[in-house]
Order: sequence, then C-alpha cells, then structure tokens
Amino acid sequence: MTVTFPQKGLPWLLLLPQLLITAIFFLWPAEQALEQAFYQEDAFGLSREFIGLENFADLFSNPLYYQSILTTLVFSFSVAIVGMSVALLLAVMADRVIRGKLAYQTLLIWPYAVAPALAGVLWWILFDPSMGPIALWLKSAGVDWNHYLDGSQAMILVVIASTWKQISYNFLFFLAGLQAVPRSLIEAAAIDGASPFKRFWTIVFPLLSPTTFFLLVVNLVYAFFETFGVIDATTKGGPGQSTTTLVYKVFDDGFVGLDLGGSAAQSVVLMGIVGLMTVIQFRFIERKVQYS
Amino acid sequence: MTDVILEKVGKTYPNGYHAIPSVDLSIEEGEFIVLVGPSGCGKSTLLRMVAGLESISTGELRIRGERMNEKEPADRDIAMVFQNYALYPHMTVYDNMAYGLKNRGMAKDLIAEKVSDVAAMLGLTELLQRKPRQLSGGQRQRVAMGRAMVRDPKVFLFDEPLSNLDAKLRVQMRVEIRQLQRKLGTTTLYVTHDQVEAMTLADRLVVLNKGKAEQIGTPMDLYNKPATPFVAAFIGSPSMNLLDAHLTEQGITVSDELTLPLSHPHRGAIVWGIRPEHLDVSDEHNADFALRIQAVESLGAETLIHGKVETTSGQGDAMVVRLSGPHLPDINSLMWLKAPAQYWHLFDAVTQQRL
Ligand SMILES: Nc1ncnc2c1ncn2[C@@H]1O[C@H](COP(=O)(O)OP(=O)(O)O)[C@@H](O)[C@H]1O
Ligand SMILES: [Mg+2]
Repeated sequence: MTVTFPQKGLPWLLLLPQLLITAIFFLWPAEQALEQAFYQEDAFGLSREFIGLENFADLFSNPLYYQSILTTLVFSFSVAIVGMSVALLLAVMADRVIRGKLAYQTLLIWPYAVAPALAGVLWWILFDPSMGPIALWLKSAGVDWNHYLDGSQAMILVVIASTWKQISYNFLFFLAGLQAVPRSLIEAAAIDGASPFKRFWTIVFPLLSPTTFFLLVVNLVYAFFETFGVIDATTKGGPGQSTTTLVYKVFDDGFVGLDLGGSAAQSVVLMGIVGLMTVIQFRFIERKVQYS
Repeated sequence: MTDVILEKVGKTYPNGYHAIPSVDLSIEEGEFIVLVGPSGCGKSTLLRMVAGLESISTGELRIRGERMNEKEPADRDIAMVFQNYALYPHMTVYDNMAYGLKNRGMAKDLIAEKVSDVAAMLGLTELLQRKPRQLSGGQRQRVAMGRAMVRDPKVFLFDEPLSNLDAKLRVQMRVEIRQLQRKLGTTTLYVTHDQVEAMTLADRLVVLNKGKAEQIGTPMDLYNKPATPFVAAFIGSPSMNLLDAHLTEQGITVSDELTLPLSHPHRGAIVWGIRPEHLDVSDEHNADFALRIQAVESLGAETLIHGKVETTSGQGDAMVVRLSGPHLPDINSLMWLKAPAQYWHLFDAVTQQRL
C-alpha cells in the first residue's frame, strides 16, 4: 500500500526534524572528524596545517594503538561471552520455574533500565579498594583487590560493570528462544535416552543458534561502542592503558591528550568498523538461520 | 504372555484437574491396542503416562512384569511417534534415526547397519542425508516411524500420528502401519480420535470417555454389542440412531406414541438404538414406522436419508437410514421402515448400561 500526500512538500516537512537531528548530531560531526583527520592543529587550536595521511600513518605505527585494539577485543568478547553465558543459564532456570515466574522475570529485566554511567558508579563503589563491600570481602578471602594498580583486575571490573545490564537483554531473547523450542522435541530426546545435559547441548542449544548469533553481534556492538560511560565512571581507561578501548582512546587522545588530528583519524577508523558491523548485521541477521 | 499392564492407573494434574480417574488394561504381547475417544478425553494423558512423560498419580504400570512408575522414559524400552513427528530439525534423517542408538552407546558400524535396514524397509534410503524441512509430510511421518523402529523397543506408542496428513495419505499410511506392526510383532498402543482409523487398526479398542474406559474389546465386539450409548454413538459411521424410549409390558414406546412390541423384564426409561444400516425399506402394511424425509445425501455407493419419525404430534425423533446404492426419494415424502429386532440395542437410561 502506498500513501499519497496532496502536496509534494508535506513529506519533506514531516521528515525535517529527523533529518535535522541526523545532520546536526551525526553528519556534521562526522564530516568534521573526517576533515580533521587530515590536518594537524597547533597546541592552542589557533592554526592548522594539511598533512595528508600522516595522522593515519602515525596511528598505525603506534604500538599503543595495537594495544588498544587488543584490549577492545579482549574486553568485547569477554562482555559478550560472560553476558550471554550468564543470561542463558538464568533463562534455562527461568524456563523451568513454574510458580513465581513473572516476579523472577521482572527482577531480571530491571538492570536494563539503569543508566550505564549510574551502573558504572554503582560497581565503582562496590569494588572500591578501601571501602567497597565486594573489595573488602575479596580481601578477607585472600585476594588483594586494587583495580587502580592491577590492569587485569581493572579489566575484570569493567567487564562486570558492562556485562551486568546486558544480561537482562540477553536473558529476554534466550527465554523467548527457549520457549520456542517445541516440548515434544525434548520429550523425544528423553525417550531416545539423552540425559538432561545432553538434551540441552545436542537439541536445545543448536536450535537456539540463530538467537545466539544475533546476540553475539548485538553484544559485540554494545561492548565496542556503548561502554564509554561505564569505563569512564569506573577506571577511566587505566591503570596505564589496560582498559582503554578504541572508543575510550578517541576521547582520551582528543580531549585529554589534545591530539585532535590523531583522535579524528581514530574516529574515521571506528566509522569504518561501524559500517562493517552494520553490513554483517544486515547480511546475516536479516536472513538468519531458519528451522521449520 | 501379558506384556503391558495398567492397574487402576489414574492421573491428577498439578493444577488439580482429574484427567483420568482409574483405568485397568492388560495388553498381550504383539497386540495392537487403540485408545479412541473424543478430543480432551485423556487419550494423550494415558499414553504419556505409559511413556513416562507424565507421572502416574495413582495405580501401577508394569511392562513385562516390571513396575515402571518411577522409571525414566529412556529406561522403559518404549518408542513413541508424536503427532507433530518431533523430528530434530537440525539433524539429517540419518542422525535423527541414529540419535537414540548413539545415546545408548552402540558401535558406529552397528548403528549404520540398523539405520540402513530400517530405512530400506520404509523406503527412506534416498533421503538419509536430507534435513526434515526438505521432506514432505508423509516422508516426515515415515522418518518418525523409522526413528521408533530402529531401536527395536518392547512397545510402540503412537499419539495421533496420521492426523497431520491429507485423507489419501492417511489411508495409505494406516495400512502400512498395520502391516509393519504385524511384521515386527511389536506390542503397540495407538491413540486416535478417528473411529475409522481405530476400527481398521485395532486388535482391541479402548473407548475412553472423560478419562474412563467405557468399553474394551475387539472392533466387532464394540460394533455388535456396545456397552453404553456413548460407545454405540462413537463406533460406526454414520452414528447409531439412539432414541429416548420407554419399556412397558407392551414393548418399547418411541417418540411418545409408537410402540414396538417386545417382552423384556426391564421397566422404565431406556435408550433404544438401531444402526442406520440395519433399517430396511418396507411397505405400509409390514413396516414398524414411517420416516418423514428431510434430507438426502447421495454418495453413489450408498445413500443416507435423514428424517423424523412420523407421529400425530409431528414431534418425532430424528433418524438416519443408510441404504446401499443410489436412491432419490422426495423430500417431505414418507418412507416406510422395518427395524429388525435382532439389531436393537437397549440401554438403561439412568445407568447407561446395556440391557
Ligand atoms: N498439563 C496439563 N495440566 C492440566 N490439565 C491438562 C494438562 N494436559 C492436559 N490436560 C487436560 O486433561 C484432559 C485430557 O487431555 P488429553 O489427554 O491431552 O486429551 P486427548 O489427548 O484425549 O485429546 C483435557 O481436558 C486437558 O485439558
Ligand atoms: Mg491428544
């Protein structure tokens, strides 16, 4: 069905707010970043000089940048895998609960409503080395917790803080996926002599694979691009560079280190990655694996 | 030898619903038993209790003398064919059939041998590498049967396995299931709501009504001597004519004014029944009663005539007559009928038991 408007101008008028927002908050900054990436600015921001691809050359010859790529990959896959595993476990349990199902599911959805920065602060307080209850408990258990000094502990903290709210989202999708697995398949497998554990891994989990793949992409995109607030509120990328992801590095180099050209070049690289992930998302998720 | 025994088996669901009060049934080795009844009467519940997919609330289930109540489905040595086939969608036909054998730790080459034997028997050899979604409904049905057969179980359980097929395929598969079962000699418990399927497949039928076994017997027992009006109406197509009547010294009074002579010790309200195929066309002088014709269904090989027993009040009961061959009587005309007494079925109206 097509809707026709009496005047040609009306559709444009209706689209205008959306187009304006896109232009002001996305297209214009993107264009600025793209332009900036080819210039070098002096320390006071008074003059700038066209330097071609030098910002990119600097970027890709800088070991710290590769370090950050590695950090981002470790961080993102940890967030995706931890978040999805915990959510799957909870969903399997929720699928079995009969009484109090609604209460249980509602509780699990709440974290999703908490703002990322707030979640970050929450975890920052819980893990504070001198007064955080979890840090103190860990100390009493013999773990010397100080994420200001220990890079691995800092990574664990940002992974926990970022994963926490994704669990709700993953949980909802896994629960829906589990409920779509026909009961009779599981019963047939039980008659076929498969233990509950085997039933899960040979029947249920393969049938969840479209959901799993979808969530993997969504969680990776989230960990890549939407965890700035959490990192800023907990570790600020430190100690050293140990929790500086690519997105955090753009901010850190540009606004803290004041290397606007280098930061812009990084933004351009990130825009490329976003484009690539969008293609993957459309290519594979739009026609996801179908079982009839 | 008795293979499967259900002793006072009952089921109450966790929500308190009392689906099966108590069923007794003993099944001989190699027997084909069909559980039949209208939708919601508890057929699946009973079958699933035998399979171990539902707990048994009361009573005992024994297979080859061994109590099964507490055993897992896998340990009962049964195989089940589900209504929706329940094939594993991500596995090939081969893997679907091999799954149960693999889980039991059978050697790979032995599995391959068994699967190919059964596949050959069912004409599935060409399809072994396909996924279920690449199969037609009939082929899926066959794979589901193959998966059950390959394990060579003590008992086959079927839950309405043909109801998702079209009418022609259903008849074909019905014949095939019966032949296979005869050949394998495996004790079978088969659930259906279709009385034709039930009559053609069963060695013995169990007619279930609201969770109670109304009657257990061979198809001909049930056809000739239904124990209750429910069984009488359920078995046979079109259904038996069942009329509210009164038994007096003179005989049976039908439609308040018509009396069919009979000497029988019972008195009071009864249900009088006669099958549509047992009514004969007669003439005014020899007939027992007349039918005012309301509708005629011509099927070629037979004709079904629907009408009302003709009475002075015009409030006679509805009846169906089944005549072989084509007939074209006029609507609203009278048809004179004879109801031979050897085909009458009498039931107590209160206890619903056969007299
Ligand atoms: N899990 C359950 N909980 C409660 N009642 C159920 C459950 N399963 C079935 N029933 C009820 O038990 C009755 C018998 O069901 P079922 O055995 O499936 O009937 P059939 O297979 O003869 O159609 C139905 O009234 C149904 O609503
Ligand atoms: Mg059923």
